[in-house]
Amino acid sequence: MSDESNLPSGDLLVVLRHGPHGSLWLREGLEAALVAAALGQRVSLLFMGPGVAALAANQQRGPLEQKGTLPMLEMLPLYEVEQLLAVEDDLVALGLGAECLAVPVERVGPAAVAALMARHPLVLNF
Amino acid sequence: MRYALLVQGGPYSHQATHSALRFAEALIRRGHHLETVFFYHDGVYNAARLLAPPQDEPHLGDAWRRLHDEHGTRLQVCIAAGLRRGLLDEREASRHGKAGGSLEAPFELTGLGQLVDAGLSHDRLITFAP
Amino acid sequence: MILHILNRSPLDSRVYRQALTAMGPDDRLLLIEEGVQGALPQMVRHFEGLDGRLFALREDLIARGLEGRCADGVLVIDVEGFVTLTEEADKSVSWF
Repeated sequence: MSDESNLPSGDLLVVLRHGPHGSLWLREGLEAALVAAALGQRVSLLFMGPGVAALAANQQRGPLEQKGTLPMLEMLPLYEVEQLLAVEDDLVALGLGAECLAVPVERVGPAAVAALMARHPLVLNF
Repeated sequence: MRYALLVQGGPYSHQATHSALRFAEALIRRGHHLETVFFYHDGVYNAARLLAPPQDEPHLGDAWRRLHDEHGTRLQVCIAAGLRRGLLDEREASRHGKAGGSLEAPFELTGLGQLVDAGLSHDRLITFAP
Repeated sequence: MILHILNRSPLDSRVYRQALTAMGPDDRLLLIEEGVQGALPQMVRHFEGLDGRLFALREDLIARGLEGRCADGVLVIDVEGFVTLTEEADKSVSWF
């Protein structure tokens, strides 16, 4: 886990608090992050609460061929979104150890969440 | 100050739209400028051309239009969120082979870049969500 | 200082805990919509430690028949006060 002094700063913090497939919150939050990054903004992503499930490996399309969001996560490095953070307690709550994740992520403690809010001029909550 | 609002709740389904409109009126009364309202997620339904609430309910679509007419507020609807939910202007409708648009001026379809721009260039961005 | 805006009841969801986690020591919390249920004496223990920083929107209390029933220490404000809070904060974050 990073301590607070190592936390990223940037132009925009996108907080993703919903898991994949159940609603459009995750997809539309990621779309906002990708567009901001494509426009040259420095974007940090924070996965929180049920949103940490977005990071799980082996996600599939839904039974109606819904795309899911894993392909978007895999595109993040192409857009130079490299600051992926997730709340450690929420990962633990879902039993998501590093070996269960599809993409590498920085695990942060609860104190880091407030620090991240303060370090970004714009915070979008999804 | 220059304000932007981000509305993510559908009209009538949730209080988000009512709260956003109340806040909009109050900030203008206090001498601020409401430059942009960006509709995203289910908030795009606020732009539906055919909203027809009963007469004893506030007309939320007309309330947004009044803000545009009286204060020049831009009413921007995310095109990606709008299209997948059936909110198309005439141009998009004909591009997709549909008869007639479901969204009309002063609402305008625009990209998510406008939300990012509003968030970073206005003094304040306040989100109202379901 | 950040203004956090919460529209969910502590009785309904854990979102209020996300908001509390995200709050810095000077940040403020405004309860709106169904979130005003958190201002009731029976609920306000969920927001311990926010003395002087916990607000509730009067018109949402009135509409729900809850005006005058808030716990001591909750600062009840009208919608102009809501605007003032956003003026005073560097930014706002909404929790829903």
